[in-house]
Amino acid sequence: MVTLMIVLKSIVIGALVGFGVGAGAARMFHAPNVQGMGAFRTFGELNACAGDPISHFSFGLGFLFNSWASVVGAGALTQDVDHRVIPNWAAAVLLWRNKNVAETLHNPKQMAIAGAAVGVVVVTLLNSTATAIPESMQLVATKVLVPAANWLINPIMPIVFWMAAMDAGKRTGIWGTVLGGLSHLVMGNAVPGIVLGILIGKGLDDSGWNKITKSMFIAVILLFVFSGFFRGFDVALLKSMYVEIPQWLIELHETFGSVVKK
Amino acid sequence: MGEWQAKGFWYSEWAFPLFVACLASGIFAGTHLYYVYHVGAFNDIAIVAMLEAGIKGGGYGAAAAFGASFLFARILEGPLVGILDIGGSLQTGIGIGVPALMLGAGFTAPLTSFPLALATGALLGFIIGTVIIMIRKYTINASNSTFGADVMMGAGNAAGRYLGPLIVISAIMASIPVGLGATAGAAIFYYYNKPIAGGAIIGAMILGAIFPIPTQ
Repeated sequence: MVTLMIVLKSIVIGALVGFGVGAGAARMFHAPNVQGMGAFRTFGELNACAGDPISHFSFGLGFLFNSWASVVGAGALTQDVDHRVIPNWAAAVLLWRNKNVAETLHNPKQMAIAGAAVGVVVVTLLNSTATAIPESMQLVATKVLVPAANWLINPIMPIVFWMAAMDAGKRTGIWGTVLGGLSHLVMGNAVPGIVLGILIGKGLDDSGWNKITKSMFIAVILLFVFSGFFRGFDVALLKSMYVEIPQWLIELHETFGSVVKK
Repeated sequence: MGEWQAKGFWYSEWAFPLFVACLASGIFAGTHLYYVYHVGAFNDIAIVAMLEAGIKGGGYGAAAAFGASFLFARILEGPLVGILDIGGSLQTGIGIGVPALMLGAGFTAPLTSFPLALATGALLGFIIGTVIIMIRKYTINASNSTFGADVMMGAGNAAGRYLGPLIVISAIMASIPVGLGATAGAAIFYYYNKPIAGGAIIGAMILGAIFPIPTQ
């Protein structure tokens, strides 16, 4: 009975998630003119498979084994389901019949439909089969694919984006460098900061300091201040400078539910 | 990807909140599955463990603060860069942070009832999608500049090319047979003009199934 409920609910969840992920992933290829949804790593990995169905399928398969191990162990599907398995398998399904990425991988309608179908299968499979997985396959996923993907996210992607920012002109280079470094400190990865640097640098190149670039600049500062605060960067900074953490700051963090360790 | 095709419902601004609503609805319902059956949360073990700590009675503060801060940062970043990060915003924010806030405040209904979970997730997703489109209206869309979209696309494409060699190197570091499999797979795929990442994974898996990687 419980298994049946899990299967039925998983079908609904898989369809909803797959639909959103598919549409969002296809829209990433039209960013920033169209608002996409996914992640820079998803985007880079989809590009790495270069529209080849076997590559998309095998990349997704590797992470399916990884998710499987995690769901059996802890009931957690891992973020890979939305970031890697569903988008890559949806792409593989579509590309199998039509190699033209503009009509398949880059098309939100096609990807949403394929994503929903893949989502139903993947989520139901993962949630209902908490039993035997070939352990040797699991090991390949965790010992080969996970480190490789982590290296791609850090340091390869930061370096590639950083160089692109520097090659795009003095302004994007400076903004990319400053915001990239800050972003790696505060958010744990330089890519978002470098991308914001490119945005501001190119915005200034094209239109100077006007209302739009100014409001973007303020939004970026807010982004850094708030994520810094909520991730406890302020406290970590004071600690590493051997400065006593003031009581009001500890209390401020407490009002938002985070505990400052002495 | 010419301008001519990026038109219509599927590319429109107002379709975006609907896509976010679908995804957030599914993710929130995934947390419902986890809360009720202990399976199906859409996040990594370490992050789900924070929610679990709350469920076990250890307080929801960590999960709530962590999730909420990710959600906030990603909502600001999403419209600026054109890509909303699903992991930070929806999986961690909506899937872990918001449920932790609700459970911490004593609202269990959205997590115990499946229909209510779907509705709660959809509503929150729709709000987030709308906020993002509103921010876009006052930044990216209000200008003639493309804000370096070409630079970012170029970097995204360039970064992707590194994955194949990285998988081969990682496989070689895992074990000798797996490394040989990945190397041969990559070479074969390269010969047939296919991305070497796919060949490397298939090669590593086949040899990894025959000669399992030793565990310490």
